[in-house]
Amino acid sequence: MISSGERELELLIGPQHPASGHMRLVAKVDGDVVVELRPNIGYVHRSVEKLAEVKKYLQIIPLVERPSLADTTANNLAYVMALEKLLGIEPPERAKYLRTLLAEINRIHSHLYGLGIHGVMIGSSTAYMWCFGDREPFLELAQELTGARLTYSYIIPGGVRRDLPAGLGERAERVLRYMENRMRDYFNLYFNNPVVRARLEGVGVLSRHDAINLGITGPNLRASGVAYDVRRAEPYAAYPELEFDIVTEEAGDSFARVMVRVREIVESMRIIRQVIRKIPEGPILHESYEKLIPPKLRESMKQRGMVKFPSVFANLRVPPGEAISRVEGGRGEVVFHIVSDGKLSPYRMRMVTPSFRNVILFEHLTRGVRVADIPAIYGSLDYFPPEADR
Amino acid sequence: MVCSLEGKLLVGNLERSARKAAAWLVEKRPVRDIRDWGISFSLWPVHFTTACCGAEFAASAAPKYDAERLGFLPFIGIRQCNLLFIEGTLSKKMAEAAIWVYEQMPEPKFVVGMGACAIDGGIFWNSYNIVRPMDILPVHVFIPGCPPRPEAVAQAIIMLQRKIRRGELVRYETR
Repeated sequence: MISSGERELELLIGPQHPASGHMRLVAKVDGDVVVELRPNIGYVHRSVEKLAEVKKYLQIIPLVERPSLADTTANNLAYVMALEKLLGIEPPERAKYLRTLLAEINRIHSHLYGLGIHGVMIGSSTAYMWCFGDREPFLELAQELTGARLTYSYIIPGGVRRDLPAGLGERAERVLRYMENRMRDYFNLYFNNPVVRARLEGVGVLSRHDAINLGITGPNLRASGVAYDVRRAEPYAAYPELEFDIVTEEAGDSFARVMVRVREIVESMRIIRQVIRKIPEGPILHESYEKLIPPKLRESMKQRGMVKFPSVFANLRVPPGEAISRVEGGRGEVVFHIVSDGKLSPYRMRMVTPSFRNVILFEHLTRGVRVADIPAIYGSLDYFPPEADR
Repeated sequence: MVCSLEGKLLVGNLERSARKAAAWLVEKRPVRDIRDWGISFSLWPVHFTTACCGAEFAASAAPKYDAERLGFLPFIGIRQCNLLFIEGTLSKKMAEAAIWVYEQMPEPKFVVGMGACAIDGGIFWNSYNIVRPMDILPVHVFIPGCPPRPEAVAQAIIMLQRKIRRGELVRYETR
């Protein structure tokens, strides 16, 4: 209801709405112009950090994957890296390459997920169908490597859970070639489509200065011309030995954010090719854990390429102290901080997720835009509510 | 009430009689079978993503699994939908919205609990902020898994269709 003299109308969008649910946007509109838009988050808060305090160290690995289901490897890797810092172990070389391989496969299908959801939001069903359809070959690659579609729990302290299956290299090459050909179709039909260009270009412009001041992370930061990537700033896993470029765009609008994701898919494919070419032979579990496995099981483990967990993992004790790790996930920088007091569970575990850091953009970018531009901006941020709410 | 039909005069509450006759007819074979068959192939779930299982729910509507061939079309408007998917964990804040959405859907309506969290909390069983969906909604089909694969979602749709065709779920009240 608008009483006389009042021009602003409050508009509630969500939590039931066509685009990737679980949040409410409270918009104040004056005619067709958004005066203020506040995101109402917390619809998917499941107290992951608190639950980590009562779970054992290895049980936390599946727990931290759940908040960002489309991008599980980043959380898994960041958590295990912090744990390894506390335990004082370094994974073997082959395990590092396998971690990188999975992280890049995951980055590709996470970006395709984001692009597909963005397609739904701006009303292009074709983009959704294509992106979700082309996501499946990558999910199958990951499934062959780890045994699961999305929740891999592949990375464990001191290594990885499974070795590279025979012939995965050729199959990965086939998938990559397919995706490269598809990329051309995407550009012809979607990214160079005048309607898409008109809806995305110049909408929701984030300047370089604001992006740095607001602490934005991931592709949204790089779309504003800041060449910051944790893989380069603080290299981990096998990234120091691999060649890749940091993708940046100058414009900072919705289209630039989409373009960064698309070009990152190409970069990730380049990394996957390098990993498959360069991967060294060797063990996939740290020797201090491998020698705890009974000899007979160790033999069968080496033959089958699947790690048998040493019994010490059931009650893994971590020396007191604290550790921080940073990982570049599909949506941005993931930070894990673990405080251990020498017991079976951490004293405190803090996870900082990229979506939580990017949620401020809803308020910042939508001031003064048209109501129809809200989905174009929302989608381009690749915001995943469970990740922000934890 | 009096009304005339081709010169004949009919006496009585025609509207109530017609409603009674329709209710009698719609519960009789073969009309009941045709009705249930129709409902089972037009299950439209509402776009209401409660938690992370939505990622696999979206994949089940995408090309590879293509649940639309089972008459399963995710739709925006609550008033046009008859199926509510509880996709994973239901937090307290979301449970409130879930009840609102459920109450706005027209009869007959069905609820599917997707994922271990929708059954009994799953990995978040001891969290302070979750609600078990069966405490607040009548859930007809549960899908185990964390997250369930798209094949499992398709299986759940087929199970629900069979249940509807057996005449277990749809009942029209005679008023």
